[in-house]
Amino acid sequence: MAETRLVRVRRGLTLPFLLLVAWEASSRLGLVDPRFLPPIEDVALTAKREIIDNGLTGQLGTSLLRNIAGFLIGCALGVSFGTLVAVTRLGDRLIMPTFNGLKQISLLAWIPLISVWFGFGEQAKVVFVALAAFIPIALNTYDGIKDAPAELIEVGRALRFRPWQRITKIYLPSALPTIATGIHLGLIYSWLATVGAEYFLAVGPGIGGLVIAGRERFDMALVMVGVIVLGLVGFAFNRLAGAAEARLLRWRA
Amino acid sequence: MATYLELSGHKTSANWRRFLSGQFFSLSALLLPVMLIGLWWLASERGWLPEQILPAPAYVLQTGRDMIASGELLYHAAVSLRRVIFGFAIGAVLGLALGIAMGLSPRFEDYAKPTFLAFAQIPTLGWIPLLMLLVGIEETLKIIIIAKGALVPITLNTLSGIRSVPGKYVEVGKALRFSRWQTLRLIVLPGAIPSIFTGIRNGLTHAWTSLVGVELLASSEGLGYLLVWGRQMFWLDTVIIAMIVIGLIGFAMDKGLNGSEVFVQRWKKEGL
Amino acid sequence: MKRAFLSRVAAGLALMLAAAPVTARAEEPLVIHVGYAAIGVDNRPYAEGTSAATARAGEFLEKEFAKDPSIKIEWTFFKGAGPAVNEGFANDQLDFAYQGDLPSLIGRANGLKTKYLLASGARKPLYLAVAKDSGIKSIGDLKGRKIALQRGTNGHLAAIKVLEAHGLKERDVQVVNLDSAGTVAALTSKDIDAAFGDTQLINLAVKSAADVIYTTKGDDPRFGRNAGIIGRQAFIDAHPEITQRVVDAFVKAAQWSSDEPNRAALLELWHKSGTPVPILEEYFKGDTLAYRNSPLIDDLLVSQYKEQAAKSKEFGLIRRDVDLDGWFEPRYLNNAIERFSLQHFWQAYGADGKPVAS
Repeated sequence: MAETRLVRVRRGLTLPFLLLVAWEASSRLGLVDPRFLPPIEDVALTAKREIIDNGLTGQLGTSLLRNIAGFLIGCALGVSFGTLVAVTRLGDRLIMPTFNGLKQISLLAWIPLISVWFGFGEQAKVVFVALAAFIPIALNTYDGIKDAPAELIEVGRALRFRPWQRITKIYLPSALPTIATGIHLGLIYSWLATVGAEYFLAVGPGIGGLVIAGRERFDMALVMVGVIVLGLVGFAFNRLAGAAEARLLRWRA
Repeated sequence: MATYLELSGHKTSANWRRFLSGQFFSLSALLLPVMLIGLWWLASERGWLPEQILPAPAYVLQTGRDMIASGELLYHAAVSLRRVIFGFAIGAVLGLALGIAMGLSPRFEDYAKPTFLAFAQIPTLGWIPLLMLLVGIEETLKIIIIAKGALVPITLNTLSGIRSVPGKYVEVGKALRFSRWQTLRLIVLPGAIPSIFTGIRNGLTHAWTSLVGVELLASSEGLGYLLVWGRQMFWLDTVIIAMIVIGLIGFAMDKGLNGSEVFVQRWKKEGL
Repeated sequence: MKRAFLSRVAAGLALMLAAAPVTARAEEPLVIHVGYAAIGVDNRPYAEGTSAATARAGEFLEKEFAKDPSIKIEWTFFKGAGPAVNEGFANDQLDFAYQGDLPSLIGRANGLKTKYLLASGARKPLYLAVAKDSGIKSIGDLKGRKIALQRGTNGHLAAIKVLEAHGLKERDVQVVNLDSAGTVAALTSKDIDAAFGDTQLINLAVKSAADVIYTTKGDDPRFGRNAGIIGRQAFIDAHPEITQRVVDAFVKAAQWSSDEPNRAALLELWHKSGTPVPILEEYFKGDTLAYRNSPLIDDLLVSQYKEQAAKSKEFGLIRRDVDLDGWFEPRYLNNAIERFSLQHFWQAYGADGKPVAS
């Protein structure tokens, strides 16, 4: 009894539709305090104001740039680190236990330390974002390489591959699916870290700052606009990550 | 050690080698941390880095001892743990229920999942200012944020776990004329357990991270509060100690979960 | 595959180098990084109530260096107040900053190499506001209640002194660490019972969102908060002439801010921070401009700082003794006063709080 796609889509839209209707109705009928739930109209007007007058797109752009910069650094370092540690027995024995210990420290707990070590400004924020991406990517690269099938390693040995060839022709390709998952996680965490950096490390342009400002001004509409933007970007990143993952897997095959 | 050698009998040398390599392994794991601490000590002795950026390790140790002795560390850790346990429990129950409901009923999934996913896209940190306006900065805020942090991974993993149970098994249940409840208990849930546990593990990690985030923003007690306090007063040793405790608790929770997963798996095998 | 991997690594390294800490170089062009341990309403990059704020709003520094195209001034305002300024100094990201007594003492205690160049924003009052219907009538009532403080700021130290004078320790109250804007929000929504703070609290009272029940203004002068312009020693050593010119600009700003005929214009200038003028009037009521905006490093100031250091250690805010010898550097200030013939413009005070006969 497979439902048609149309039926499923229609079902999926039911709940959001009902919620929007309920929202509009409660605003019109004065059932809710507008400070807690501003009318949809207000939110839309605020969004328009922010985009046109206050450069919302610019703020978003800055956040995204920070995110991408940090992510790329974290990604490059993560793959390198994970590979190095996985292929050398010494690295495995010596470094992994410490890494496993350090990764237990919640990401946000690093903020005060990073703030003191890197001060204010973009540098501290990029470092934080890079850290957020580094951890899952390094971990997944390590796991992926460790799981390389024994036969492939044998083949490498038989063909007398040099270490560099072993890495690029055997380890990395076979680890690609796991690395792809790591990159997916890295993208998500780096977005979280970007927002976190804007909350906790000095004032600067960014979407995170917008949400905080909205809260301080008791402007629920502004907070909602910010949250919606955060959600949209989160969604975009998830899609991007999924597509990147799929592309990487296809490439390998 | 003598007993160990005696018991192994003629395999003495092999066991001895295995024992030593085991010791070597655990010792080598400590090598890097010890080296790093040594480097740290040297750096602070020689003043390579200004002391506000890196306090001497002895100083951190002393502060740690003081904080434990005064009960302060335990107090703040307990406050944070209490919040996490409470919030996580709520998030887990809701997550499991939602995941199971969506897993068992494709129709419910059609209705609920898109909306759920939309809300899930918003990072937990983004919810905090919104909720602050609605519920203030008291305990409620923290519990809700932690619950939300746990909810998403648990729901999604439970759902995928249930979906992953092969159709054949459910067919078997139907052939055996299992009731809905029996199908759930004997076939679906056991099959979904690995996924559910992954979800629970991710949920707990995320709940713990969310807790730190909330406590950094608005709290008067807890480990996140210690981090803020240390940062404001430039007491980097307090910051480092709070970080270590946060890491240790995270580690303990992870280990605890792994242990209970093994336990449940064993019980599951015996059951079937 | 190899090339793709290599290029990815190279790109990563390049970005890593680009993001690496860049130290200011002592050649043209030179950027002078000036910090301010506060921020305006809605994160406006302006402040109020001090001669340093005047220097910013009136562009005194920019005017001083207007003829030097290779020298730029960069102001940064900190939500995180004094503690955040310390982080900036620790990373050599700030050259000069307006900072309160407690955070600058904390910085020095932790080994930050700075010098106190001139006073600014000294003898500021502290205000205590309570949430509506909180039932708190006096400071004694604060026991066990939830109070917002920004830890590590000079307001923090003054608050503790006030509590102590009424028999309370910091442990007797529940402290929530919030910055200025967070305090306003929390007080309005009654998430906290009381808060120590500044003009933002007067603002709340005027809007009837909270009640101000106490101020140190008019109370024991030892409750006053102090602040000043702090300079990074490495910068001062490398650029003594530029330091002198920076101090000159601040002294000119202080002079303008201390002239009574300028009062209306001054408040209007400070209004750039977003605080309404009537609030600023209330903030300065009963004080002469010269009293609050004097840049002098007189005996009163030095003894106040020494006392703050001792008190901080006593309250456990600083964990080792702070040696203030050699920290005060009045040389540049005195040069400026000589050159501008301002020797008798401001009144110096002795350690006992009484004017010193000139």
